[in-house]
Amino acid sequence: MPDSGYPWPIQTSRLDNGLRVVVSEDRTAPAVAVNLWYDVGSRHEPAGQTGFAHLFEHLMFEGSVNVAKTEHMKLIQGSGGSLNATTNPDRTNYFETVPAEHLELALWLEADRMGGLVPALTQETLDNQRDVVKNERRQRYENVPYGDAWLRLLPLLYPPGHPYHHATIGSMADLNAADLATFQAFHQTYYAPNNAVLTVVGDATATDVFALADKYFGALPAREDIPPAPDGRSVPATGQTAVESVSADVPAPRVYIAHRTYAFGSPEYNVITVLASVLGSGRGSRLYQRLADGERIAQPDLVGAYGVDLAHAPAPLIATATARPGVSAERLAEGLAEVVDELATVPVTAAELDRAKALLSTGWWRQLSTVDGRADLLGRYATQFGDPARIADQLPGLLAVTAEQIAEAAADVLATDRVTLTYLPEETS
Amino acid sequence: MTLIADRPGPGAARPYRFPPVVRRAVAGGQVVAAHLPGQNLAVALLLLDVGAGREPVGKEGLSGVLAKALEEGTAQRDAAAYALAVEGLGTALSTGLDWDSFQASVVIPVDRLSAAVELLAEAVRTPKLDPADVRRVRDDEATALRMDWANPGPRADAALRADLFGAQNRWGRSLHGDPASVAGLDVEDVTVFHSEWFLRPGTLIVAGDLERIDLDALAAAAFAGTGGGPAERGGPIDVPLHSGRRIILVDRPGSVQSTLRLGHPSPHRAHPDHVPMALAGTVLGGAFTSRLNHLLREVHGYTYGIRGDFASSRRFGRFAVSSGVQTAVTVPALVEAVGEITRTQATGVTEDELEVARSWRAGQLSVELQSPRAIASALTTLVVHDLPDDYHARLRESLLSADVNQVSAAAATHLHPESLTLVIEGDAAVIRDDLESAALGTLLP
Repeated sequence: MPDSGYPWPIQTSRLDNGLRVVVSEDRTAPAVAVNLWYDVGSRHEPAGQTGFAHLFEHLMFEGSVNVAKTEHMKLIQGSGGSLNATTNPDRTNYFETVPAEHLELALWLEADRMGGLVPALTQETLDNQRDVVKNERRQRYENVPYGDAWLRLLPLLYPPGHPYHHATIGSMADLNAADLATFQAFHQTYYAPNNAVLTVVGDATATDVFALADKYFGALPAREDIPPAPDGRSVPATGQTAVESVSADVPAPRVYIAHRTYAFGSPEYNVITVLASVLGSGRGSRLYQRLADGERIAQPDLVGAYGVDLAHAPAPLIATATARPGVSAERLAEGLAEVVDELATVPVTAAELDRAKALLSTGWWRQLSTVDGRADLLGRYATQFGDPARIADQLPGLLAVTAEQIAEAAADVLATDRVTLTYLPEETS
Repeated sequence: MTLIADRPGPGAARPYRFPPVVRRAVAGGQVVAAHLPGQNLAVALLLLDVGAGREPVGKEGLSGVLAKALEEGTAQRDAAAYALAVEGLGTALSTGLDWDSFQASVVIPVDRLSAAVELLAEAVRTPKLDPADVRRVRDDEATALRMDWANPGPRADAALRADLFGAQNRWGRSLHGDPASVAGLDVEDVTVFHSEWFLRPGTLIVAGDLERIDLDALAAAAFAGTGGGPAERGGPIDVPLHSGRRIILVDRPGSVQSTLRLGHPSPHRAHPDHVPMALAGTVLGGAFTSRLNHLLREVHGYTYGIRGDFASSRRFGRFAVSSGVQTAVTVPALVEAVGEITRTQATGVTEDELEVARSWRAGQLSVELQSPRAIASALTTLVVHDLPDDYHARLRESLLSADVNQVSAAAATHLHPESLTLVIEGDAAVIRDDLESAALGTLLP
């Protein structure tokens, strides 16, 4: 196993307009991943405009100055490529993986929508994509049991006005109120070359990519006064627990316990990542061993714990379990809380720590086993920490975490400000 | 102008090559491997010729219960010790089932592959299958399915499958069974199924840096203690089409969306029209730019997405379209979807559309076949369907050479808009009257 967490070359450049370009060459397969991270997410949305960053992401596929409506998808798929985009509280990313000979096409398309979206944006397109996003909200959050858990946890974890208080999907009311001028302004404000990182990984040389980036993106103007999102890094502890109970059309009681921890990218958050794995990854985890296998109060496939990797404020740690038949929500919640609390009092053994680190190592290499996986991570480290080479420190950072650090972190963040969200089946509540 | 108006053409194409395939008979079983030089991760996958099609009617979900029971302790150690041994290596036993095969696999850094394969074989070949554990796993699986079936989709899928293939047949019932079929299994069903099917050698698939892997040693571990020859596979099943369109309404009170599943039977995997059918399916419902997605999402905004494709196994196949649409537009969405299928069947595809479809499908071979996991999956296709080592190279050629006439003919022959079954899982109180008056087909009771 290599000592570094990233045994491929990384070369970087910055265009005169501020666009950062990251290249990681790998000739193994004749494919190339193109990835753009824009440093704008739902944390930038003011009250009344929730869901706008994500709706805007949809509009980026609807044509630009030299690209007709729907042509973006057609050209990428017509060249054999895969593509998508995602929005989260921190950022918006756009990515495609194409056979290597179509690299230039992908860069041309990305440049055209970075520099030329606004003139092509129409009311008709906005109305259509607003409907699509409202259907996405129904499909992902409203029409599935427990589907709105994330929407409920965020306002319990973060106070009003905090950039993570509201969910990225936004509210139906705000989506309905969205007008064209707001989106035109949104693009002009945030979709500037100096607010983005372009990453290319795979079958291409850095020299070629830098030249192509300059050719297609080089003349786009920088924007000097990009407004920052509200600062959410400090969230004062309230000393309170927050408890919410929901009666819904769900098949069994389910409990979520959530805490604010530390920002992704900090050494402290690495500790949380390992802690979450000890607590909730796999059949050897504490939650599985205690609740699914031991007391047998939880459904085996539905226990788990994970950190949500957000970088601009203390990120959430979430632990969850779903009751086996005949087990009450109260009993499940007690059992779950007990296992979470014991992270501070029952030392993590060497075997537990080794297991967690082994799973995290394999997970890391799986993520890096494709050019698109590598491109997205390089874009993350360049955007959020100013240096893509920090990617190499991530795995060693996780492997350096000690049992003492886990106990300290547990004592620090799990002891107060606990959020407990419980779902109860309607007929029994 | 700061933007470059001219769209760049492609550079010189770089040939895609599927990795070299190694086939070897070792220790009574077959090894099929792909060499991925320099790759840190490796995949080992034990492929057994026991798909869901081998489960007796009435015992649906047997494979799923057995798969879970494999990890509840072995001849050598209890469940907790087994979990720690596997996860201590940094991996997990992953199992999968389709109509033709069962697979158990590990993804792991290559230097730990042999230890992981030994543990994989230990679970698959020598599980303890203690009766109390099997009963508990069965109950947990029944509950897990009940949880899953509370989501929109599984009930609609089951209704479509039963109407297409007949609920009296195993292939007319859900791949993974349903909550009731699993709850009805007993311990002996599981132990007998294991001894009948899981002690045959099967095929070991390996994808990784073969210079760092001892295939013979892996095979010796994977095939130790096995016996029994290959089983009869059975030929393609002749599935009749319905005469006339049928509508099945699955009630989901209060649902804000209607879950749509439209389909009819189609040819099995070895049918000579496989490639042109796949391309016709791609134009109609496969890519994001497909006719269905363009019309229902990009033009009408009825849905977050709609997909359609031909899927096939060794013995049968089906064409199906799936989507979730806002409740209020259920009927208009159905009318548009059926209309587009009808139009595609009647008038075929255009060169412009086909150009996108064939380039996309061919290009996806180089874009998607990167990770050891993806390569291992491609190798299982070779084994399950008796395909040659150069299958992926030939597939690329046949995709790129398919012409409009062939693909339009496949659409004309294999799409049957008048024999579609339309399953709608939604709020019956809101949509029933509209469905009855829409004259899309016969609403089944």
